[in-house]
Amino acid sequence: MSSPAEEQQERISVGLIEYLSRHTLDEDYARVARNRPGRRSSWLATGAMLATLALFGVLVFTAASQTTRNASTAERDRATLIDQVNARRASVQERNDRVRALRRENDQIDTDLLAGRQSGSSVFARVQRLSVLTGAGKVRGQGVRVVVDDAPNATSDRNKVLDSDLQKLVNGLWEAGAEAISINGQRLTNLSAIRQAGQAINVNYRPLTAPYTVLALGNMNTLPSRFAETTHGATWFDLQQQVGLRFDMKTDRTLVLPAADQLSLRYATRLKEEPR
Amino acid sequence: MIAAIGLVVGIILGLLLTPDVPQWLEPYLPIAVVAALDAVFGALRAFLDGIFNDKVFVISFVSNVVIAALIVFLGDKLGVGAQLSTGVVVVLGIRIFSNVAAIRRHIFHA
Repeated sequence: MSSPAEEQQERISVGLIEYLSRHTLDEDYARVARNRPGRRSSWLATGAMLATLALFGVLVFTAASQTTRNASTAERDRATLIDQVNARRASVQERNDRVRALRRENDQIDTDLLAGRQSGSSVFARVQRLSVLTGAGKVRGQGVRVVVDDAPNATSDRNKVLDSDLQKLVNGLWEAGAEAISINGQRLTNLSAIRQAGQAINVNYRPLTAPYTVLALGNMNTLPSRFAETTHGATWFDLQQQVGLRFDMKTDRTLVLPAADQLSLRYATRLKEEPR
Repeated sequence: MIAAIGLVVGIILGLLLTPDVPQWLEPYLPIAVVAALDAVFGALRAFLDGIFNDKVFVISFVSNVVIAALIVFLGDKLGVGAQLSTGVVVVLGIRIFSNVAAIRRHIFHA
């Protein structure tokens, strides 16, 4: 065995890893064996060794069971969270369905009420006519179907369809004489917003993804040519030529546009009509 | 032989008691187990070398466990707990590996 001074020297001269793997055994074993060779161990020491080994067993077992238990707790937490998310999602869906059903019921009641009255029929006709313009009612008729999409292999915002592009398209169509417009099934009303929110374009606060299908009701013979004459139409043909955005306009004899989902006035309230 | 009995008794005790580890002790348990493993393999090697001593084993076991836990505790207080635990595990791992290699040489003479 080396002397402490030599050991110190070795510790300095060889690397740490080298030293570690050379001195893996506690040097005390060798030292004790050298100093007191052949000495019997006492009962007390044997008992202590046994106790230590038992402690080791308990330690290993406890650590293992603890780790397993922690893992199962984490797994259970995760499952509970997933369940909660799913439950909430189902409840939202349910409420949305209820909203839709109630609105349908309201419409029905309105219709019945107006039809039941003597003076109601003219009012009813007026409501029906206005609902086409306001977007509150489902409409059908001739018009154009416009499909726009990002340029192939689009990498930057430059060759993607932006909210401003959709706004120009819609404004151009209104200008060309469209009577009702929807984008990917979202009917546009006078309060509809077309806005970029992160990666998606939101219409009526619903995120849409490309390709965007714009349906516009109007005279199918004049709508495309009049659209081409508007400034927005010109802008779109530029976009198509220069940037490579996809733009595809086709006329269609029967288009069906859905009613707007939300028609809520946030600021305006109705003035009470004075009886005549 | 006696050692094996002690080990089995310990595992059975753990199985029967299933001791609940207090929250503050939980982070030090795994590192303590690794340190204990090192002491046990060292003892096994010493036994095969013929220089095993009860007292040395008990002392090395207890000091190993306490020091390993202490280092991690200190590391936690200094904000380098994870790194220090890694260091402890690396050092103890190297020791365990070469001890096991020595044991293997003893048993298989290869």
